[in-house]
Amino acid sequence: MEDYKTYLVENVLSDDKVVTYRLLSRALRVHPNVAKQMLHDFHKTQSTKKPGSVYATYLLYGIKKSIHHQNGNAMDIDLPSSLPDADPVDDDDVPSYTLALVQEDRLADVLRDYETVSSIHVYSIGPHPAKDLTLLVDAAQSALAIKDDVKKPRPRTIVNSHVRRREIRGSGFKAAAAAPIKQESKAKAAPTKTAPAKPSPAPAPAAAPAKPKEESKSATPATEPEAQAAAATKKPAPSLKRNTSAVSGIMQAFSKAASLPKKAKTSAKSTPAAEDTPVVLSDDGEDDDDDVPLPKPGATSSRKSRKEREEELRRMMEDDEDEDMEDKADSPAPEEEEPVVEEPSAKAEAAKEEDKEIVTTTGDGRRRGKRRVMKKKQIMDDQGYLVTIQESAWESFSEDEAPPASKPKLKVASSVPPAAAGKGKKAAPKGQGNIMSFFSKK
Amino acid sequence: MVTLDEVLGSGLLQKPSGHDAPEALQRQITNYKPLQTFKLEKTRPYQQQYADIYFLRLTKIRPAVEAAARAAWEGTVLGGEKVKRVERVLDVRQGELCWVAGTVYMDMPLKPSILEDVSKDRWISAPTSIGHYYSGNGDDSIMLEDDSGRIRLVGNALQDHFMVTGCIVAVMGTENTNGEFEVIDLLFAELPPQPERWSLSKGKKEESEDVEMMDASFSGHPSKPPSKKIAIVSGLEFSNADTSYAMELNLLLEYLLGEALDPSTQRDELSHITRLIIAGNSISTTANETTKAAAYDTSTLKNKFQPQHKKYGYDSSSYNPIPSQLFDNFLFELLPTMPVTLLPGALDPANASYPQQPIHPAMFPQSRTYMSPPKVGVGKDGDVPEAEEPGWFDNVTNPWEGEIEGWRVLGTGGQNLDDVFKYVESEDRLGMMEAMCRWRCVAPTAPDTLWSYPFQEDEPFVTKIVPTSSLSAASPSSARKWSRGPMAKRSD
Repeated sequence: MEDYKTYLVENVLSDDKVVTYRLLSRALRVHPNVAKQMLHDFHKTQSTKKPGSVYATYLLYGIKKSIHHQNGNAMDIDLPSSLPDADPVDDDDVPSYTLALVQEDRLADVLRDYETVSSIHVYSIGPHPAKDLTLLVDAAQSALAIKDDVKKPRPRTIVNSHVRRREIRGSGFKAAAAAPIKQESKAKAAPTKTAPAKPSPAPAPAAAPAKPKEESKSATPATEPEAQAAAATKKPAPSLKRNTSAVSGIMQAFSKAASLPKKAKTSAKSTPAAEDTPVVLSDDGEDDDDDVPLPKPGATSSRKSRKEREEELRRMMEDDEDEDMEDKADSPAPEEEEPVVEEPSAKAEAAKEEDKEIVTTTGDGRRRGKRRVMKKKQIMDDQGYLVTIQESAWESFSEDEAPPASKPKLKVASSVPPAAAGKGKKAAPKGQGNIMSFFSKK
Repeated sequence: MVTLDEVLGSGLLQKPSGHDAPEALQRQITNYKPLQTFKLEKTRPYQQQYADIYFLRLTKIRPAVEAAARAAWEGTVLGGEKVKRVERVLDVRQGELCWVAGTVYMDMPLKPSILEDVSKDRWISAPTSIGHYYSGNGDDSIMLEDDSGRIRLVGNALQDHFMVTGCIVAVMGTENTNGEFEVIDLLFAELPPQPERWSLSKGKKEESEDVEMMDASFSGHPSKPPSKKIAIVSGLEFSNADTSYAMELNLLLEYLLGEALDPSTQRDELSHITRLIIAGNSISTTANETTKAAAYDTSTLKNKFQPQHKKYGYDSSSYNPIPSQLFDNFLFELLPTMPVTLLPGALDPANASYPQQPIHPAMFPQSRTYMSPPKVGVGKDGDVPEAEEPGWFDNVTNPWEGEIEGWRVLGTGGQNLDDVFKYVESEDRLGMMEAMCRWRCVAPTAPDTLWSYPFQEDEPFVTKIVPTSSLSAASPSSARKWSRGPMAKRSD
C-alpha cells in the first residue's frame, strides 16, 4: 500500500509532474476513491514535512448560493447539472449543482459561496500551484494513455453489466470485411476455395454459368456434401503431411488451393480439370497472372496480395471515370468500404485467420474439425446489378486430406471427358496461359 | 455557507484505510427504444417539389385546427353577426364574419428568398448568416394561404402569438376594404394527445416498478429515493486548435464515468445516470477552417514542384482528423459503462438538410464496435427489418424520437429552434419549443428557411403525439459549452 508514496515522490517531487487521482489510480491499479485518499495523505504528510513543496487542487461538487457569484478565478468550471423538474411552479427552485476545480489556497474562499457541498476530494497534486489547466489536461491525457491490462483490469467505480459489443458477429464480420478486397485481386489466384467448385460432382464444367444461382440459394448446403465427402474419405493416401505448417495465414484458409499443385504431382491426371473450372467461373474479368503466387508459401503470397490490393486501390482512386468505381459507389454495402479504413489491421487479421479452426478430434495422429473459409456468393439486386458478397462459412476438414474436396474432385475428373482432363493437365504445370484455356474450353 | 473545517476530515480527505478496494457500483439501466421516424432511405430521390410538404402538413393538421376552432367559435355571435366557417381562403368575402384555416406565410424582406436567388442567377446557396429575419420596422407581413390562395392578415390579435412560416392556424375575423383580413381571434392545433407510457416497449412494465420513482426524479424531492436519470449534453465541439475547455471535457468524462466525487455521490447520483444523449455539435469545425486555409496556401506553393495528389478534387491533406479522433476517444472511454445516443448537429459531419441522418460509423473507428452491426449485403435500409436491438452506441437522426423508460422523448439538434428564433422578436426559446409542440410541427420553417428533404409521401415533422419531454440543443444562451436537463413539458 505504501508504494504510492514512492510513486508520488518520484513523479511529483523529482519529475515535476502533476498527478491526478485518475493517473494514480490507473498507474497503480487502485480504486479511484482510494487514489483520492492517497493523494490527500501524501499532500498532508508532505506539507507538514516541508510546507509549500506540493500543492493540491480540489474538486468541489455542491449547490452554490442562489446569488450567482461571478468570481474571476479561471479555475472555476461550472457544470450546471440541474435535476429535471416537471413542475413549472417551482422552476426556480431546481437545485443547480456545480462542479468546480479549486486551488488549495482559494479553497476557503470558494467554499463560502456554497450552500452545501455534497462532495469534495483532492483532484490532483503538483509541485507548483496549478495555474494552468493545460497541465491538468496533460495529466488527464497521460492517464488515458495507460491502457487496460487484461490480467489486472483497473478498478472501475461504476460498471455496467449490460454493455453490448458486436463481438461475435463483429469479429466474423471484420474478417469478412478484411477479406473481400484481398480476394478481389486474389479471386483468380485461389478460386478453388469458392463455393462453386464444390457442388460440381454431377454437372460437367460447362454448366458453369448456371452456378451463381445455385450458390446464391444458400451457402450452407454446399458444405454438407463436403462434410459427407470428408467423412467418406477418412483414410486417403497420407501423401499430404504436415508440411502445410509452413503454409500459414491465408494459405491455411485456402489450403485447398495451396495443396492443389501438390496433388497435381501425385495424381496429376485428375486435379487439373478441377482447377480449371473455377477459372471459367471467375468472370471478374481481370488478368489471370495472379495464379503465379499460388504455390508459394503463404507469407509471401499474403504480402503480395496486400501489395496488389493497395495497387488496385490506388488505381481505383486515381482513375476518375472508371466505371468500376461507380459500381463500387452504387452497389456495395458500407462494409466494402470499411477495409480501407482499417487497412493497418488487415494484416493482423490475415494472420489471425490461422486460428479459425476448431479441432474436434485428434485421435490416431490425425486432426479433424472445422475451419472457417470464405465463400463467394453472387446475387442480383433489385436494380439488376450483380453483387458479389464474401461470406464466411464453416467447413469441416481433416488433417490428412487437407483438401476436403479432393475426393469429389476425383470423381469429377473421372466423369469428365478425357479430353477436358487432358487439356487441364497441360495447363496446370505451366500455371499460366489461363486465358487460352479459357477460350479453348468453349 | 460552507467552511473549511466542515469539509476537512470528511469522506475522501482521509488517509487510505488500507481496506480492500470498494465494490464497483452497478450502473442502472433504462429501457430504450428508438424510433425510425426521421430515417430516410439511402436511395432517396431529390427530384420532387417542396410544395408537397406544405400540402401534406395542411391536410394532416387542418382537421385538428378546425376541430379546435369549431369548439371555440361555433355559434359565436359578434355584433349581431354569426361566425361562419369558410372552406378556402379564397372564399372569404369582404365584410363577412368568418373563420378559415390555413398555413401561415411570413413575408419578410430580410428573409432569404429562393425567388430572389433564381432571378439573380445565384444557384449555390450559402447558409444564411443573418441573425434575424425579423426587421421590426413594419415591413414584415403575415399571410394565410392554402392551395387556393393567400390573404394578408392584420390585427392586434397577431401580436399575442409566435408565428412563423409553415405553422397551421385558424383565424376568425373579416376582410376589410383593403382586402386584408382583420383577425379577431386565432387558434392553433394545440397539443396532440400524449402517448401512454410504455406504449412502444411493452412487457417491461412488470420488472420496473419505478413509475413513482420517475416522478420523484422529475419533481426533484431529495427525500425520495433517487431514480434513473439521463444525461443530455450538446456542443462538446471537440476541437484541434481550441483546447481552452479540454479540462471541462475531461471533468465531464470523469463525472459521467463516475470516477469523480465521493462514494455516496457516486452511489446515489452518478450510478443512476443511465444514458448519455449527445444532441449535436460534437465536433468543432472552426479550427478546420483555419487549417484548411493554411493547407491551401502551402499546396499552391507545392504545386510548382510536384504534382498534387488529388482524388476527385478533394485534397486529403487538408483534412484534419484530430477532432473526430478526440471525440471517438471520449466515447470509447465512456461506452463501457454507459450507453450513448448520438444526434448530429449543425456542425457535425452529416447532411446539412433536415432531417439529418446518422453520422457514419466510419467516423468512430474505436467506438463503432459498440454500434449495432451494419446490415450486410443490402443496399437499401428500407428493405431490412428493423434491428431487434438498438446499438449500445446508437447514432440516430436529428430530429430523433424514442422511448426511454417508457417516456416518449423528442430530441433535436436545435436547428429548427434556431430558425424559428430568427422569425420572432422574443428571446424565449423555451416558449418557442412549447409553441412548436402546440403547432404540432417539429420544423415548421422547413422547407422555407430551414433546409429540408423534399418529402413526398409523408411529412414526418408533424407530431402526432406530444413528447413527454422534448429537448433541443445548441442554444447559445448557455455560455458554457454544455447545457443539461430536459425541459420537461407535461400536458395533462
